[in-house]
Amino acid sequence: MLALDGIAKHFGGIRAVDDLALTVAKGEILGLIGPNGSGKSTTVNLICGLYPVTAGRITLDGRDITDLPTHRRLSEGIARTFQNIRLFGGLTVWQNLWVAQNAPAHRKERGYLARWLGGSKQAREETGRLLDFAGLAHRKDELAANLAFGEQRRLELARALATRPSLLLLDEPAAGMNAEEIAALDERIRELKRQGYTIVLIEHHMELVMAVSDRVCVLNFGRKIAEGTAAEVQADPAVRQAYLGTA
Amino acid sequence: MIDLAQSIVDGVLFGTTYAVIGIGFTLIFGVMHKINMSFAAASIAGAYSGLLVFLLWKTAPPIVVFATSAALAGLIGYAIYLLCFRFIPIASPLATLMSTVGMLLLVDEIIVHLTAGMPLSYPAIYDGYPIELGQLILRVDLLLVFLVCLVAMAVLLYLLYRTRLGIATRAVAQQPVAAQLCGIRLTQVNAITFVMTGTLGGIAGAMIGASVGVLSPLLSLPLTVKGLIVTVIGGLGSIPGAIVAGLLVGAFENVFQMWRGVTERDMYVMLLLFAFLVFRPGGLFRIAGARD
Repeated sequence: MLALDGIAKHFGGIRAVDDLALTVAKGEILGLIGPNGSGKSTTVNLICGLYPVTAGRITLDGRDITDLPTHRRLSEGIARTFQNIRLFGGLTVWQNLWVAQNAPAHRKERGYLARWLGGSKQAREETGRLLDFAGLAHRKDELAANLAFGEQRRLELARALATRPSLLLLDEPAAGMNAEEIAALDERIRELKRQGYTIVLIEHHMELVMAVSDRVCVLNFGRKIAEGTAAEVQADPAVRQAYLGTA
Repeated sequence: MIDLAQSIVDGVLFGTTYAVIGIGFTLIFGVMHKINMSFAAASIAGAYSGLLVFLLWKTAPPIVVFATSAALAGLIGYAIYLLCFRFIPIASPLATLMSTVGMLLLVDEIIVHLTAGMPLSYPAIYDGYPIELGQLILRVDLLLVFLVCLVAMAVLLYLLYRTRLGIATRAVAQQPVAAQLCGIRLTQVNAITFVMTGTLGGIAGAMIGASVGVLSPLLSLPLTVKGLIVTVIGGLGSIPGAIVAGLLVGAFENVFQMWRGVTERDMYVMLLLFAFLVFRPGGLFRIAGARD
């Protein structure tokens, strides 16, 4: 579904991502791990178009999206969450979801005027389902800035889903969560997989990555050093060296 | 005492035009995080452009002139967006400041050139007798200016807080990166913001022209300064702040006009600005965290 072909991102002399090739199959959960500064977040930023690539090609379902601007990648079906939460703090919970309904299908469902002024009944029902999924139905009129940390993470995930993506990029969704919240997140990610979403999961919380990922890819210094099932990767000496500094 | 009350009433009524100009500055700042120095000059230019109606229709009623002013001011707003923001590197803090100051001077020059520097008369909104409330005299034209500005602000607030367009605009102001990832086109929202604020400025410009009776290129610089003062006093980025500060500045300048005369009044308004910058730099409505 998603294919990165030799992509690179250099910031001045720093090679944040270097000649990285990666594929994600439809319906798969790919875990992307690596020590701090290994290029995971940069990779996600390249996929969703926040940075232009220095070299290489990105294709989605065979279409070249390397040069598409960020807002257009959404119509190709890419959505993401952020490591440092980026909600619209001054909007209410449901407005956060409502304003994200910009998929091509959404635009078609709304009339031209409704596109600017209001929403359809369909859109409201869809928002309701997302609120239920995120467990936020009872807080729908609260300002997003007033939500608790865990609730904000859930809202951000729901907002990503509101754009009707096929590919979800989750950037450290478990950061700052307690064990109970991580267990709920684990269940939520599995549910998304059952619903047919393709997911790229960046995470430092190894237990979660190893538990839910179909495949794990390990980055270090912007390069791929290992790829395989959770067990294969954990046994790989290069991975142990990257994390522990010794072979 | 009655003079003081009279000055305050007149000032508050006229102050709504400052409030509208202040909202324009604040709204553009909220979305772009940049000051558009040319906004007040463009509003005056919008008012001027309404006079073009008379070229086609010699006996056009004032309302048509006002509406044309508002519509063409929206167009001018879009032109300013294209010239001063769209293709200028936004990361440079000085670039758009320079481009909009340049635009302010350019707009003034164009007006001076086209009108040979002579003031042009502008249709009044009402020219009947004022209403007497006891000893207070209510100028009906100012009252109508007040109402028009109030309606314009109400429509804007409705757009911003109740429609998808407005909510998308606020989303961009709060979190531009995430907004893009929600499929919102920054350039489109920015352009619409300029058209919206431009129209709003055109309404304010028309109302100023209607209550002063003439348009002159000399109006634009003081209006720029007052718009900025309103924005600072209200708190940069705060719409309620701009409204309250607009009325406050209107009343304040009118009181000092009564006490010290029209030649001195703007000095005291400036002093008010410094007082706020020293004692309450965040403005009346401080919203440091939420840019909205």
